[in-house]
Amino acid sequence: MKEYLQVADIGKETDQLVTIEAADLMSLPPPYGDLSAEPPLRSLTEEQKKRLDASLDGFIAIGIPRPQTAEEEQALVTKFLAGVQRLFSKEDNWTFLQPLLHSLDYCVKCQICSDACPVFTATGGKEIYRPTFRPEVLRRIVRRYIKKEGSFVSFLHGNDVELNWRVVTRLAELAYRCTLCRRCAQLCPLGIDNALISREIRKVMSQELGLAPNELHESGTVKQLKTGSSTGITPKALGNIVEFMEDEIEEKTGRKIKIPVDKKGADVLLVHNAGEYMAWPENPEAFAIIFDAAGIDWTLSSELVGYDAVNYGIWYDDVQAARIAIRHAQAARDLGVKRISVGECGHAHKAIMVIADRVLTGDLNIPRESALPLLERLVLTKKLKLDPARNNFAVTLHDPCNMVRLMGIVEPQRRILRAICPQFREMEPHGIENYCCGGGSGFAITQSTTFPDWRSAVSGRMKLKQILEAFDRLDDPTDYKYVCAPCSNCKGQMWDLFTYFDVWERSGILYGGLVELIVSAMVDLKEPFIEWEFH
Amino acid sequence: MGIFLALITYFAYVFIIGMYTAKAVKFLKAPLHIRWDLYPVLHEEHHGYGGSYYEDEEWWTKKRRKHRMRGLLSLVADNFYLGDYFSRNRSYWLALYPWHLGFILIISFHICCFFAAVAMLLGLTIGPSVGGLGALFYYVILLTAVPSFILGSIGSMALLLKRSTDEALKRYAGPLNYFNYLFFLVVFLSGLYSWYFTDPTFSGYRQFWKALITLHQPHVEPATAAHILLFSLFLIYLPYTRSMHYISRFLAFFMIRWDDEPNTRGSALERKVSALLKAKVTWQAPHIQSGGTWAQVATEVPVRGQGEGKK
Repeated sequence: MKEYLQVADIGKETDQLVTIEAADLMSLPPPYGDLSAEPPLRSLTEEQKKRLDASLDGFIAIGIPRPQTAEEEQALVTKFLAGVQRLFSKEDNWTFLQPLLHSLDYCVKCQICSDACPVFTATGGKEIYRPTFRPEVLRRIVRRYIKKEGSFVSFLHGNDVELNWRVVTRLAELAYRCTLCRRCAQLCPLGIDNALISREIRKVMSQELGLAPNELHESGTVKQLKTGSSTGITPKALGNIVEFMEDEIEEKTGRKIKIPVDKKGADVLLVHNAGEYMAWPENPEAFAIIFDAAGIDWTLSSELVGYDAVNYGIWYDDVQAARIAIRHAQAARDLGVKRISVGECGHAHKAIMVIADRVLTGDLNIPRESALPLLERLVLTKKLKLDPARNNFAVTLHDPCNMVRLMGIVEPQRRILRAICPQFREMEPHGIENYCCGGGSGFAITQSTTFPDWRSAVSGRMKLKQILEAFDRLDDPTDYKYVCAPCSNCKGQMWDLFTYFDVWERSGILYGGLVELIVSAMVDLKEPFIEWEFH
Repeated sequence: MGIFLALITYFAYVFIIGMYTAKAVKFLKAPLHIRWDLYPVLHEEHHGYGGSYYEDEEWWTKKRRKHRMRGLLSLVADNFYLGDYFSRNRSYWLALYPWHLGFILIISFHICCFFAAVAMLLGLTIGPSVGGLGALFYYVILLTAVPSFILGSIGSMALLLKRSTDEALKRYAGPLNYFNYLFFLVVFLSGLYSWYFTDPTFSGYRQFWKALITLHQPHVEPATAAHILLFSLFLIYLPYTRSMHYISRFLAFFMIRWDDEPNTRGSALERKVSALLKAKVTWQAPHIQSGGTWAQVATEVPVRGQGEGKK
């Protein structure tokens, strides 16, 4: 039955506002079309339900403890309002005040953006996931409780959201049902950015109430600032990893490569998402092979934070984002490198190149660029000896939102693929109109309770559909296919997504980076660099 | 009545210009923000596929050309076409487009009446058979006014219907949305009535403006007076609606979505950023040293027990 949820229902006294049924979900192409054959979405345990607030949709990204007393309930509301008030401060929120004001003031709720949202579409149009829903909740709260519009004006504007603790906890969770892909914003003719409002809500929750998913904050930015990396890799551990990679490169290629670390005055400081070292070391290894073969003057940093390009702060907290960006720049400054080059990580690109652009000043303002144009030059100017025939399998390209829609890096990776992959094909839509992998804005690393189910079945659904539609012979797992995803978080999401739907076993679809394909095409490698094993 | 009509007309124009200017100034005075680009950025060379200068190796060494006029023209054109709605939601566009055309044309009509009055004061005769500029004014006024009343009325009714029956729109609408459609409908219908029953050549409007310019008491037919009054109220009311989006979208596109200006060392932009880093932070979460400046908070990471709390 079609639900008719109203904006004011966000504060409704009910155990759960919305339930996602398998039948609601967008169907996938054959042989994945049978919704009843999909893994069931797990429910929380009774203990979890009692302890944590899951009253939005039964899933939890943050895990806010249910308030136990009226005082605790009131404290949530009071702190939330104080935080919202600070959003309008030129000092506290100079960072995003202008875009926020515009998006709050001028949305006409025409809903043209709704169909652009992969989450809204994948759930068959669940109202809470409509891109305009959460901004409208915030807008009504602002008018009634911050601007304190009189009751008649308030009535005229339809400001009917009664602020209570449920609104706060649900809005906090709801801000983590948007991947911040900004597809909705791209379509808005008025320049309204609903994703920005999601991020501003996240910011209030983190910067005022101290509420954020553990994986983003405590095990994310806090850990990175303290130990050097959210993966837990310490500078000493990095040394061991580099040795391991050198050994593995020799084993795989017969080449003895010394990976430069802390080389003073190098031309390029290459920064990777440290997740690559842990989960996909073949990616930084491939970079090392390429840079070595091309004679690039480069280095890694072993400085705390400097060796992990991630910056989860950009998804939820301006302060944490600034802190990490500054540490990255300090590492580069101390080495005296000429430029920072970002490896295959979308959000790290945006964090250090775009977001940090108005944070870094003076000697921290070091030129920063994507590694993709450099790779493109090496491939297209024949600096490397490549044979496309070595990559004679079906390849499609995933466009990481941060790198493509939000930074305009669209063609270098395509020109590389066209040069080295004879069976390259686009998924639709692609480029700046791509769909998010479903793991954006921190979802790929959020492992809270049953959230991974939601991530795979809901937020990643559209991407899986796109991937499946890009290939033929989906029922033949021996016919290998490759999704090139030049982004660590997207790869993390694909690992989950492919595991959830058993994509490797059923269809032989593997995901991986761009540099692996370049090395795979190198003519003087005896063994194939890409190992057709799912990991 | 004539004096009242004159005063409210003067006031309405001064008011709307003042209010729109104040809103634009408020937007412009907001501090520099963190970059929040969204592609395609139309002034970029590779805007066709959404490419940016980040596609170049060592982009900071390359000369950039910004084609700002391209973005401007695209936004202006879209104000008259509403292309995104046309391509993505045709049924909504069918209601929205006549409504918007109604607005554009009704404002054009009144502005044309003003200029026609100026021309008359300079000795020009306006009429269908006088030829030249006089005929041009006559027909332009006719062709802006009548279509505006018809299209505006159709659009108001269509949007009223659409907003009240389409669940996705209805759930987000407040009473003010419906009031707007009804009020604008009355404005357009009053114009239509006045034209059809009392002033088919719009000479009354031209005379009204002539009187306003020469500071004489205007005399118009009651139906025309009603439309002039309603149109003045419409102008006074517009700043309280989201109508500013005709203008604000230009600011938002140029200053937010397409603001890809890099912060280079030693630039004026860098100086602005440095100044903003001196702003005070009062956020209260445990991991933030409330009271410090942004520069302090961002560079002095608190250790556990000294401001860093558990989330």
